[in-house]
Amino acid sequence: MPKQKLNPLPAAAFQILLSLADEDLHGYGIMRHVAEQTGGRMRLGPGTLYSSIQALLEERLIEELDPPANQTPAEQRRRYYRLTSSGRKLARAEAERMADLLRVARAKKILRGDYV
Amino acid sequence: MSEKMYAWLLRLYPSHFRAKYGDEALQLFRDRKRDEPGFVGRLRLWLDLLADLAVSLPRLHRYPQPAFAAASVPLVRGPSFYVFEARRIAAAVLVFASALSLGVFDACSYLIAHPGDPTPSSPSSTLSLAAAADPSPVQRPAPIEASHASAPAAIEKLDASERRRVVDAAITNLKRYYAEPDVAQRMADALRKHQQAGDYDAAPDGAAFSDLLTRQLRTASHDLHLEVRYSERPLPDRPQSAAPQNLAVVRRAMEQQNCTFEPVKILSHNVGYLKLNSFPDPSVCLSTATATMSALNHTDAVIFDLRDNRGGFPAMVMLLAAYLFDHPEYMYNPRENTTERLWTHSPVPGSRLADKPVYILTSTRTLSAAEHFSYDLKMLRRATLVGERTGGATDVGVFHRLDDHFGMGIRETKPVNPFAEPDWAARGVQPNVQVRAADALQTAERLAASKFAKK
Repeated sequence: MPKQKLNPLPAAAFQILLSLADEDLHGYGIMRHVAEQTGGRMRLGPGTLYSSIQALLEERLIEELDPPANQTPAEQRRRYYRLTSSGRKLARAEAERMADLLRVARAKKILRGDYV
Repeated sequence: MSEKMYAWLLRLYPSHFRAKYGDEALQLFRDRKRDEPGFVGRLRLWLDLLADLAVSLPRLHRYPQPAFAAASVPLVRGPSFYVFEARRIAAAVLVFASALSLGVFDACSYLIAHPGDPTPSSPSSTLSLAAAADPSPVQRPAPIEASHASAPAAIEKLDASERRRVVDAAITNLKRYYAEPDVAQRMADALRKHQQAGDYDAAPDGAAFSDLLTRQLRTASHDLHLEVRYSERPLPDRPQSAAPQNLAVVRRAMEQQNCTFEPVKILSHNVGYLKLNSFPDPSVCLSTATATMSALNHTDAVIFDLRDNRGGFPAMVMLLAAYLFDHPEYMYNPRENTTERLWTHSPVPGSRLADKPVYILTSTRTLSAAEHFSYDLKMLRRATLVGERTGGATDVGVFHRLDDHFGMGIRETKPVNPFAEPDWAARGVQPNVQVRAADALQTAERLAASKFAKK
């Protein structure tokens, strides 16, 4: 049977890595950050979110944390996630790949207006 | 409510996923519900969840649980299974699944080995066989079938196209096969008229539609033998012939039941009493029939009890009737034109019954071949019928398939009935002495006794 792979990195997984770039988050927090950083275009549902998290954990691109000590009991039950160094490297590599794509798109004059 | 619904939907995910992230997923649902109030928020939440299900479910089921892929396979004895679920299969589940599989396997084997198996314990075994082979051009001589014994109740809806198809096929078959072309045309015209008037739109199901067509055909033709039947089970494409193994089953069942001949009793005044519960196939039951008639040979009168006789083979009707005449006698059979087969092989050597009084006990359950026996002996003034009007089983002639669920009986020949009274189709045979079926035997005994007293 095929094994789930992160090569190429799916958009959802990349967005999760980005959301964890500056702070540790729980699942819902990741979902909110992703929605914000994509302007509401990507709202990760539980299935996509947690299957992606599972894959990222398996590849050691993120890691699971104990919840912060100062949280309420309800918050204590949540799992928090943090970006690992290899996760950060992969996210950077992916961002550079996209930046290359962007340069090509600019050169081909596909992008117009303020975005250029 | 909506949380319960989502919890239920979560069950669609693989168990390893539910075990690890089920609570988190539910928590995420609660968080979003709390933070996105209002109709639009709720709508967006559900749209997101459904879209997420559609995308993530196939992927999660397609890929193995990563932990499993890495786990070493333990050595186990006995069978091993690849399963979608990661949880260990309980022993009870394996036992239940094994029992269920065996049950299904047995049921399939039985059905393959016994297509249209008659019920051996029923006295109407021959009838059941006839009904099983029903939708086929009937080989002659064949058992006269009782129309009451077939056509299971229908509840399926009928659509307009099927109604149209059935009417078209009925008209085509009538024109092609019905014995009298002018009457066939009259029936065709009547059906078309009803069709154009929209009379069939009201028929809610197959049974009601077939009853309606039967009534209309009989009104147009005055032929009570015409019948359209509905079968809930699809009718076979081709005529079925009785499988040899089924014939063997019938033969065994018949032998076990003494061919449905109950033991002869000698009543007071030396009146012989024979309860006959069907007219079985002479090719199986000739010796039983002969032995039974021999047992009656020295009686001074015979009572045939046909109150529970639902029919059988015309050949047995002819065989038994032959004992009651001292010369060949014509027995009218609405299915057959006048042929040599319709004359009894009388006198039967050694028979002393040709001049003995005969009584036939009837009930509303007396059908088909039993009505044939009763009607002809009554019309020939050879027997006195005592009991209730018989059931009036319709001999439908040759069965023609109209579509998957409808068929019709058409008599391709129309023998001339030499008797004044119409035959038993649909109306039954009126007994000479009408009493309740339960009192019929007593009445017949009294009639026989008074006859002897006059002598």
